[in-house]
Amino acid sequence: MNAIDGTDRQIKADDRPPPSLLAIVLDTNPHAWAHLSSVLPLSAAISNLLVFINAHLASGNANEIAVIASHTHKAEWLYPTPKDNLPRRRPNGAANGDIEINGLPKEPSVPENPNKYRQFAVLENAILSNFSKLLDSTTERDLASTPTTQVGGALSLALSYVAKSTLLHSPVDSLAGDNPLSALADSETVHTARVSLTSRILIVSVSGDLANQYIPVMNSIFAAQRKRIPIDILKLAGDTVLLQQASDATGGVYMKPERPEGLLQYLMMAFLPDSTARRSLIMPSTSGVDFRAACFCHRKVVDIGFVCSVCLSIFCTPDLPSNLCLTCGSYLSLRSAQIATPALIPRKKKKKKRAGGTDSATPGGNTPAGSGTPMHA
Amino acid sequence: MSEASAQYKKQDGKLSLSADGRTVSWKSNSGTLPPLAISVIEIQNLQQTPATATKASIKIVIQKPSASQPENHTFTFTSAAARDDQQAVTGALRKWIETFKAQNATTPLPSTENSGGPSAIGVPTQTVAASTKPEEDMYGDARLIKDAELQKSLLNSSPALRQRFDQALREKPDTISISQFATQFWATRLHLLRSHAAERAQSQGTYNVLSVVKMHTEDGTQKLSISKEQIHLIFNQHPLTKKVYNENVPPMREGDFWSRFFASRLYKKLKGEKITEQDAPDPKLDKYLNLDDDDEHSRQLTMTNVPHFIDLEGNEQNHSQRLGNRPDYTMRPNSADKVPILRVLNRMSEKMMADVPSSDADPHAPVGIDEETYQQLRLRDLQRAADDNRIILKIQNQDQFFSAEQGLHTSSSASTYTKRSPAQVLSALQHDFQSISSGKSKTAGLDLEAAIGLNNESSSDEEGSSKKPRVGSISARTGATAQINKAIRQRHSQDDDYSSSHSIASSEQAAKLGLSQSVFDTLSMTHNTTVEFLHYFWTVFYSGDSERATEVQKLVETLEKSLDRIKAVADTAENERLARLDKLRRENESYTQRTGKKKKFDPSTVKGGAKAVNEIMSPLRRAIDSATQQYKKIRQDQMGQIADRTQPNVM
Repeated sequence: MNAIDGTDRQIKADDRPPPSLLAIVLDTNPHAWAHLSSVLPLSAAISNLLVFINAHLASGNANEIAVIASHTHKAEWLYPTPKDNLPRRRPNGAANGDIEINGLPKEPSVPENPNKYRQFAVLENAILSNFSKLLDSTTERDLASTPTTQVGGALSLALSYVAKSTLLHSPVDSLAGDNPLSALADSETVHTARVSLTSRILIVSVSGDLANQYIPVMNSIFAAQRKRIPIDILKLAGDTVLLQQASDATGGVYMKPERPEGLLQYLMMAFLPDSTARRSLIMPSTSGVDFRAACFCHRKVVDIGFVCSVCLSIFCTPDLPSNLCLTCGSYLSLRSAQIATPALIPRKKKKKKRAGGTDSATPGGNTPAGSGTPMHA
Repeated sequence: MSEASAQYKKQDGKLSLSADGRTVSWKSNSGTLPPLAISVIEIQNLQQTPATATKASIKIVIQKPSASQPENHTFTFTSAAARDDQQAVTGALRKWIETFKAQNATTPLPSTENSGGPSAIGVPTQTVAASTKPEEDMYGDARLIKDAELQKSLLNSSPALRQRFDQALREKPDTISISQFATQFWATRLHLLRSHAAERAQSQGTYNVLSVVKMHTEDGTQKLSISKEQIHLIFNQHPLTKKVYNENVPPMREGDFWSRFFASRLYKKLKGEKITEQDAPDPKLDKYLNLDDDDEHSRQLTMTNVPHFIDLEGNEQNHSQRLGNRPDYTMRPNSADKVPILRVLNRMSEKMMADVPSSDADPHAPVGIDEETYQQLRLRDLQRAADDNRIILKIQNQDQFFSAEQGLHTSSSASTYTKRSPAQVLSALQHDFQSISSGKSKTAGLDLEAAIGLNNESSSDEEGSSKKPRVGSISARTGATAQINKAIRQRHSQDDDYSSSHSIASSEQAAKLGLSQSVFDTLSMTHNTTVEFLHYFWTVFYSGDSERATEVQKLVETLEKSLDRIKAVADTAENERLARLDKLRRENESYTQRTGKKKKFDPSTVKGGAKAVNEIMSPLRRAIDSATQQYKKIRQDQMGQIADRTQPNVM
């Protein structure tokens, strides 16, 4: 075609890095923040986070942000502001997804400041007002009921939002690809599948005791792993078990600051690069991941657990009521899985042989038979 | 198989053992007695007269599943070599009995009433079980661990493993016997043994010889090198050559024959190449050109197994012929001269495949359809469905475990939270949040610079007296930077992230740590063996066998010795580092003398030494410490128990 009419129809493929969506899950557990207030008050943390968000938005024209508060009794959107009063699905079904994202028209008045980029101001306004609404709605009863936070729910919200945004960014016609003129253009234009949006999730966590949400969080981790969404963890306080696994499984960054006061520095240095940039960087992830799982019966994090061979539930003790799995009711013979007590005194004198310790004495043949496989986590 | 003349109930006859070893049968010569067949599986006892007795006879005691009493059969060998016959028969019988016993020990006797359906007629159902059994055995854990020859060959094929094995063997405590040690060593490496066994079981098949043998020119003359095996293969694959060779070689010399053969048209024909006018004619060999190389069709026809498509009886049900299973068009006679190479190659492959015994079938199994195939071919649509034997997974609602409320008092961090009441928490948070909410003026919004503590930078710089670290202060930020940089450096040195997929050579790693290659190698060796002993320690430790208590004790000593070994390596590394430091210092001095200028010299910039060694060995140290500590603790407890028990006034 080029040869015929003499024009050059080379179409410049878009080779910029794809826009990046950052979903931040902010743990707003009031217990933990009150505990932390002497070192890092929540207000300071929020303003640091705002700066970080601005930096993220500024580093790419098309970059997006979503902020979710994981509160004690519920997970709540901070940004974008959800439209509660709208019916869930408009009858004509048009552009349902867009409304939540850029629902600007009904936005409460954003203060005009000539020294502030308007988008930043809008975002700041939305986050602060949504958060104050959340705080106002929190009652003492909510706080008294639980010491921890709904990180599982917040993660699910983040993941679904990421999934929706990815859909919205992906080209409408899969055949035409991202180049609408590709049908016209000569075949010499190389066609590569382009990633339309890279996403990552950052969890700013302050609470411990996440083991009771082991299953929902684990499910979210697996979903993120499958969708290649790195989950970054900034652990300001609390024990680490579950979230460390999240970052490790998804290839995210895990940070437990020694100096929480330097929050902004941590955010900027460790968490600003998006997945495109991370390919060429060495990320500061700590080694030594705690891979332990929580048991199903007491939600304790276990060193050695017992796994039901049928439904893979984990138990911390082999003494199950009538040897039935608590989840699926299968009969398990866990006795054989018990480890023999070490006998370290050579029998010099005549002594009664101690009970127990009847396990096979061959090295190597020590894999306990039976259906209760011990899991060393 | 083996057959011998033997008397049974005073009648002359022949005693024979079937080829698959399943039955012993006796047939009367005169026909006065009905032939007797004994199933070897049912044999309970086998007795023979001692070698000194005049009569050579055997007694077979069988127990039929249906009969309550065992039956006796006595055979007396009558031939001139009666003693030899007796030995041969009992030897063979004993062998088969053992084989069947070994099988029966693991596989339950296949029941003849096979799930109600009719069995394939005339096929013993046991063969199916028999043919699969030996294979599983070959890769069984117990067998692999005992196979010293296999282990030796694996060690020989993998130098790294050999090194590790030798090193661990050298340093093992004396109380552990070599066989114990080997068992332990291989127990963790069964997969390696298994793959090696599988690898060894493979052997190379025959190949197309004619295309391999090539003339090559050397000093202007044509030379031909051909091995004995190759000649043998040529005769095998091309029987025509054998004929030509037999008929011509006495007049011709062997070397001449082969050089003529490889230049001849016959060779080209056999190889499948086109014969052109340029090819020199050879009066002697050309006369064989029109003979067919395929006179071994006869060999294929004598096959024991009749293929379905010429099996007339089978054709009643198998209509492959009608559906047109003609040979490929390249293999039909008429197109022969056009593409000879295709035919030759195809035929070659056929021959080669015929020579290879199939590895997945028992050569002794009876020919024909086996039970499994028969079951597959049965029309099952018309039968009633079998009972569903799947396990139904009944998942109970997991919420009952998880929503079970976790009160403020049950959690680990809760204790720290209880200092404040929920009301206090809420008001504190709201008050704190007010500070930024009120800070944002109606017109300008939140002043972020102030909020992150940048604006009053000057005031924070001159402090140092204020105790409380302020959010965003310089010291906090440098602290954060230092932590991140440290993490990045650590990650970089470990190289275990997937961004650098290529593995870094150990020399590079050593250089990064500031250690010399030899120290690094010793270090990794020490690490390897220590891990080996840790493995062994924990297995013995948890074996719960008081017989092995001394073994554990010795192992603990070995582990402690490992610590000394690490220390020795650290010392070497430290000496190296000091030597390097000395050298640098001297260089520095000479530089100062030459130029008169002083250069700054910081000893801490020289990496390596004991510090580096201890740093990378610290996990191992921790492992050893925890092993010895646990040992000591439990030992002490048990000592205490014994002391208690020896007291007369217990309880």
